[in-house]
Amino acid sequence: MIVLLILALAICSLPGATAEKKLTVISGWSGPEMDAFMPVLKAFEKETGIRVDYQIYRAEDLAVLLPAQFNAKTTPGDVIYMWSWFITKHAKDGHVLEMTGSLKDADFIPGALDAVKVDNKLWGGVYTGKVKPGFWYRKSFFKKHGLSEPKTWDEFVALCAKLQKISGVKAPIASGNGVGWPLSDITEHFIATYAGPQVTYGLIDKKVKWTDPVVKSVFTDRIVPLLKAGYFSEPIEWTMALDLWWRGDYGLYFMGSWITGMVDNPDDLGVFSLPGCEGIVFAPDYAFVPAYTKYPAEARKLLAFLSTKGQEIQVSTGGHIATYKVPLNAYPPVDRGVASLLKGVVALPDLDDTIGGEWQAAFWDQLKLLWVSPGRVNEVLENLQRKAN
Amino acid sequence: MGQTRGRTLFFIPALALLALFVVYPVANTIWLSFFTPEGEFAFFKNYADVLSQPEIFDPRGFERGFPYGALIHNVIWIVLHLPLTVILGLVFAVILRDIKGGAIVKSIVFLGMVTPMVVGGIILRFLFDGNVGIIPSVLALFGFAPRTLTAYPDTALFSLIAGSLWLWTPFSMVLYSAGLETIPDFVYEAAVIDGASPWRIFFNITVPLLKPVTGVVVTMTFLWVLKIFDIVFVATMGGPGGASNVLALQMYMYAFREFNPNAAAVVATFLMIVALVVSIPTFKAAGGEE
Repeated sequence: MIVLLILALAICSLPGATAEKKLTVISGWSGPEMDAFMPVLKAFEKETGIRVDYQIYRAEDLAVLLPAQFNAKTTPGDVIYMWSWFITKHAKDGHVLEMTGSLKDADFIPGALDAVKVDNKLWGGVYTGKVKPGFWYRKSFFKKHGLSEPKTWDEFVALCAKLQKISGVKAPIASGNGVGWPLSDITEHFIATYAGPQVTYGLIDKKVKWTDPVVKSVFTDRIVPLLKAGYFSEPIEWTMALDLWWRGDYGLYFMGSWITGMVDNPDDLGVFSLPGCEGIVFAPDYAFVPAYTKYPAEARKLLAFLSTKGQEIQVSTGGHIATYKVPLNAYPPVDRGVASLLKGVVALPDLDDTIGGEWQAAFWDQLKLLWVSPGRVNEVLENLQRKAN
Repeated sequence: MGQTRGRTLFFIPALALLALFVVYPVANTIWLSFFTPEGEFAFFKNYADVLSQPEIFDPRGFERGFPYGALIHNVIWIVLHLPLTVILGLVFAVILRDIKGGAIVKSIVFLGMVTPMVVGGIILRFLFDGNVGIIPSVLALFGFAPRTLTAYPDTALFSLIAGSLWLWTPFSMVLYSAGLETIPDFVYEAAVIDGASPWRIFFNITVPLLKPVTGVVVTMTFLWVLKIFDIVFVATMGGPGGASNVLALQMYMYAFREFNPNAAAVVATFLMIVALVVSIPTFKAAGGEE
């Protein structure tokens, strides 16, 4: 009797024994970001009848977990959101399912799929992106203190000086810190503006050195003087910095477009890029299907859905900009304004996310050092170059 | 003879598990440390390469200040943490032994020990934060400008060491408390009758009789500090600029950021050798005295 029971259980647990197929999607979104993502998965379930589970893993944790899983020829998820460099690296090692033919370049903004291509073969899907347009401010705060958006570098410096003199303001600009990435976003914006988009591409391709005079001047002539003048706060945990900035402890806050979904009143938000900005980072999220999924056809279908129709549902919840050609009326008003900032400038890839690996961690860490010890700028740049070699 | 064979049979499952989950991974790690990522046998070149990296040892630190490299940071951690843990644990145990409400105070002190290290790391991050942290607020009362102590290269490591003291001292206190219970009362009574002062009793009776416990505390603390990872990873990620980096974190970076298991194996083997060199004689000394 017991043997029969065990046999029955074993048969039931065999793959394919049950009629229901269940896919698992993994990404780092939690809290409000997860709430905004769930309608997308529900829409897929409704359209296909395939059940989808959602699990939260940070990209940093997936970078540790997935290589070991892949070596054991298994995977914790069927569609996984991850850095583009990670996807292409593991595609080369045979751990990723090819997506060529499932998505068409023409349906996306130019170059959106390039980051997950290797030798013209597509290894992943692209989702919505976050724009990192510049410095956010509260319109009500600026109005109260008679401040306006700067049109030149001198006006930007003058604005910082004015902010510093306002009673109750701890520093003109809040410096968000997580593992270090908000500082990297600020730095990338300065490089794109004052060295130009081509230098950003050169740094990604390692054709331009971090010790190059053009790059160095961005640090020594722009960032370091602001740091030395005390215009940037010391690094503060970024969600805490958001609250402090919103309540008026700081005047400006450099953050991505997801900020619109994180404040009480998005209509009070204003944003400006550094004067003369020629390139803005537009960082899409990428996802892939591991080669070890039990349901390759269904997982491909889900990834294709997420990359296309899913984007339209996602942008309607706010804080996201589509890479798929989505009608403008799908966006909430505040995001339409953010999307308009991309007009006339080069949409740049996120520098540290594109390079990735140990260099990315070093970049974050060295910037944390620069922010509190701006006099050590040469050492920081030398370390970044050493890590890039 | 038959009884011995029977006993041996009972050892086999444990030995098999040890061989599979301890001996094999250790041997494989040592083996891995002698190869390059490309699979070529490099013998000690890997060790020379890894140990000469600035992330491990940075002599420029002696001129400009932090970072000095993970190896020196671990040494600083041990030099500060080890004696303070022993002294504070012993002092807490002795003071709280006979006073009213001592058990309650001990329980409060012990909270640090039962706090998961990752949670401890998060608490430390906020404890030292210039905006909301209690430590900068207290320092501000003495005229220090409030700043996030974990964000600056000259204070990051020391902040973490202070935090680890809070998390680890309860271990030492509990061991010393248990040790104190084993000292018979008549020893103290005889000393009092002989007219010994409380200091004399402490240094000539309590401390020597607790020597085996001290051996355990020193060894366990040394091993704990040597493998310290969680609170550094969570609180500072070894930063800023590597100013609070430690060997275990660097091992993680080699393995999971550079995807270089060979370099990680070098650090792991190095840590294992240091741990063995220090802990075996300490245990022997403590056991010998006993």
